[in-house]
Amino acid sequence: MKVLIELVVSFASTVGFGLVTNVPRRSLLPAGITGSLAWVAYYLVLQIDNSLILPNFTAAIVIGILGNISAVMFRVPVNIIYVPSLVSLVPGGILYLGMRSFTLGNEIRTGQYMFNALTIAIALAVGFVVAEVIFYRIKPFLLRFLANQQEH
Amino acid sequence: MDQSISEDELIAVCGKVGKILLTSGAETSRVEGTVEYIGRAAHYDISCHATITALFVGVKNQTKTHLVKVRLGDFNLEKVDEINTMSRNFVTGQIDFNELKQTINQIDKKVIDFTWPEKVFGAALVSVAPMLLFKATWADLGLAFFVGIFGYLAAALSSPRIKTPYVAAGLGGFTVGFLAAVLQSLGIATNAGNIIVSALMPLVPGVAITNSFREIIDRNTISGVVRAVDALIIAGSIGAGVVLGAGLSGIIFNIIGGGL
Repeated sequence: MKVLIELVVSFASTVGFGLVTNVPRRSLLPAGITGSLAWVAYYLVLQIDNSLILPNFTAAIVIGILGNISAVMFRVPVNIIYVPSLVSLVPGGILYLGMRSFTLGNEIRTGQYMFNALTIAIALAVGFVVAEVIFYRIKPFLLRFLANQQEH
Repeated sequence: MDQSISEDELIAVCGKVGKILLTSGAETSRVEGTVEYIGRAAHYDISCHATITALFVGVKNQTKTHLVKVRLGDFNLEKVDEINTMSRNFVTGQIDFNELKQTINQIDKKVIDFTWPEKVFGAALVSVAPMLLFKATWADLGLAFFVGIFGYLAAALSSPRIKTPYVAAGLGGFTVGFLAAVLQSLGIATNAGNIIVSALMPLVPGVAITNSFREIIDRNTISGVVRAVDALIIAGSIGAGVVLGAGLSGIIFNIIGGGL
């Protein structure tokens, strides 16, 4: 039940950010699905391993693979799927908390928040690289599959 | 038909393509790739170097280089998509160079946007952060939905009117901080901090910072660092805005409280 709520809310978040960043209409649905599945992956891994790196890394791999697949299927640049799907994972809130602590002169918390934001951002970025390596292995099969679909 | 494309024209069009892509939020490697792709399709050996602040286009083994200045812009991914579709059509020969030039000019001028209600609704949806589910109360998340609308409106409406950079983001933070603190002081909200973090989601530069690390890993170090510093300053101005907003609400309630 909890997972279902997480799925719905993250889907709404992704579609919402898609509207804010002006993605083409045809990519709203695939971006929403990618974003919500990535969030569920994050949520499930978080139950097993309560840390920053592994959940974000897993979610980035999910976004990377699904994003590339939908980019090929719907003929959009892959960044258009990445940007909205990332919105709920990304360390924006933590970055804000860090800079607020900075404004208030609280150096220990500033350091903590900034370090966390850096960790998450790097975990996500590395996850994308790994996902792209995996995707280039899948790509020939995907293209063949799509070609078959069009024949029928 | 290839001979009819002059070098100058091609470089001008390529410069425009690169500029639109960069200001709409595409990655630098994609910008360079697309421009060189168009050049190759027109049978010129175009080379392009893009950083987030400037774009150079030139033909290899020639002295002429076209320099385009770029300013960091907001995301407008629809433009990235349209340019991508156009360049793909041009490469496969579905449209010729003149048509490409015309459509690029159109895309440059056209305001491709969702309608305001749609964007505001989108910002409101983003303002309910999945990160805070089961951590914040449901009432707080519901309030964040509305506070987020005001924060987004403050930032989005002020950004075309205020030339000084980062002020718009600060105003968004100010609005969110002020409203959340007022709601808490009135006893409607249980935790202003949760509302603030949740409602700031559409404004905060989280995607920008992640993209900056993707650029750095991609060896576009300059663009990555520029984006990262920009994101940090945006977060800083939002943070300062929130502190000011919450502080103002505190002062107001103190005065009212003293008067009573």
